[in-house]
Amino acid sequence: MIHQFSLGGYNIVLDVCSGAVHVVDPLAYDMIALYEDTPRDALIAQMREKYRDDPELEPNDFDECYDDITRLKDAGRLFSPDTFEPMAGTLKAKTAGVVKALCMHIAHTCNLNCSYCFASQGKYHGERAVMSYEVGRQALDFLVANSGTRHNLEVDFFGGEPLMNFQVVKDLVAYARSIEGETGKHFRFTLTTNGMLIDDDVIDFANRECSNVVLSLDGRKEVHDRFRVDFAGNGSWEKIVPKFQKLVKAREGKNYYMRGTFTHANPDFLEDIKVMLDLGFTELSMEPVVAAAGDPSALTEEDFPVVCQQYEALAMLMLERSRAGKPFTFYHYMLDLTGGPCIYKRISGCGSGTEYMAVTPWGDLYPCHQFVGEEKFRLGDIWHGVENKPVQDDFAACNVYARAECRDCWARLYCSGGCAANAYHATGSVRGVYEYGCRLFRKRMECAIMLAVAKQLGDDK
Amino acid sequence: MRHIQTIQTRDLCESAKKGGCGECQTSCQSACKTSCGIANQQCEKKQSEKK
Repeated sequence: MIHQFSLGGYNIVLDVCSGAVHVVDPLAYDMIALYEDTPRDALIAQMREKYRDDPELEPNDFDECYDDITRLKDAGRLFSPDTFEPMAGTLKAKTAGVVKALCMHIAHTCNLNCSYCFASQGKYHGERAVMSYEVGRQALDFLVANSGTRHNLEVDFFGGEPLMNFQVVKDLVAYARSIEGETGKHFRFTLTTNGMLIDDDVIDFANRECSNVVLSLDGRKEVHDRFRVDFAGNGSWEKIVPKFQKLVKAREGKNYYMRGTFTHANPDFLEDIKVMLDLGFTELSMEPVVAAAGDPSALTEEDFPVVCQQYEALAMLMLERSRAGKPFTFYHYMLDLTGGPCIYKRISGCGSGTEYMAVTPWGDLYPCHQFVGEEKFRLGDIWHGVENKPVQDDFAACNVYARAECRDCWARLYCSGGCAANAYHATGSVRGVYEYGCRLFRKRMECAIMLAVAKQLGDDK
Repeated sequence: MRHIQTIQTRDLCESAKKGGCGECQTSCQSACKTSCGIANQQCEKKQSEKK
């Protein structure tokens, strides 16, 4: 399978299964599109006719181009078949029972009252609560005990707002560090925060202990303050921006993401990204809102072309800024064509419910943070482990071949089959497909591939 | 090739032979938390080779 698209002045051909990327001229672009279904002589004759007035092309160009395509096909760099399906369960089978990452719901409460919050203002449709040190410590012990030979263990302090239970966060990190030597494990901590409670103590802690911090900011003040308000209805932008700036400066501008959400209210989210840049932030992420259809904040079909145009304009802005010596990072465009994940990772699914789980303040285990509060998805708890095997088996079987729609999708090796939570919320099944999200994802991947091409060709300088 | 320029990429078919160590970052444990993308993740083996 191949995928062809033109973007940023490049004609790009992706060979889906080998991962090969080719930049081609118009003749090769057209010839590749017809190559598999048209006999050689007919194809060459068709191309001669189409390009008869092209002064750049010599008579032998048509045969030469055809032969180049054939050579690439023979070398497994074009039209390569998908031979990976038998390996789809390999990685999960090899690591069955191994947990390597926990999303610690350190606080099911929040000091903001954002109406678009997928976690229902941090409560996850339940009671407000904070995790005790004892529960958190048991969760870390559970992780270590179930991590097999895995060395790097990932723990994200999440909420609600985790800094509303900051002392427990600090105590748990101290505990984890104290057992690294004896267990031979290395913890990588991340913190996701709305910024309201950031102070010097938090900054010191985050910069000392967290490999990444995710900071929630939606961009323009009026956009941010539309949803991200306190319980009195006051916007939070003015309060948090200086705190974020101080934290990022102390972090030397590295290992953080300024993460925004865009909704039906701001499909023109590039304007929000520009505000983030103006504020001095360069590591950026902007996510489409997760909302039920019909919710006023949900993206609509009318928003779709606007969002796609914004993704393209964002890619072009990145090139422009890079050439001007002011580069910035967009999370979804960080595509490393030479060092990205191996095929096992690409076909195995996201790992929710198997290697990755969420822990509630009460110690219950769920497949991921987006399933917390959905009682039927409760897997077990941190004292007894996973007891709900049928649900875990369902998640274990989620991979790139689990959904019929993915088989014909050129982007399947970039999303690994998509988000089970999005699929569930859109279709009622974790094996469903959130089509709108898929369409946005494919657009992002085209932009990301184009940027990677520009970088390798030196066009970003 | 005059008409086709091939960009340097990791050969996914080749990665089937040596991949699958499972040490890489969990997909959602990063910035997004609301969608699944694995393409932007790093291979731990490749990272260690670089160091």
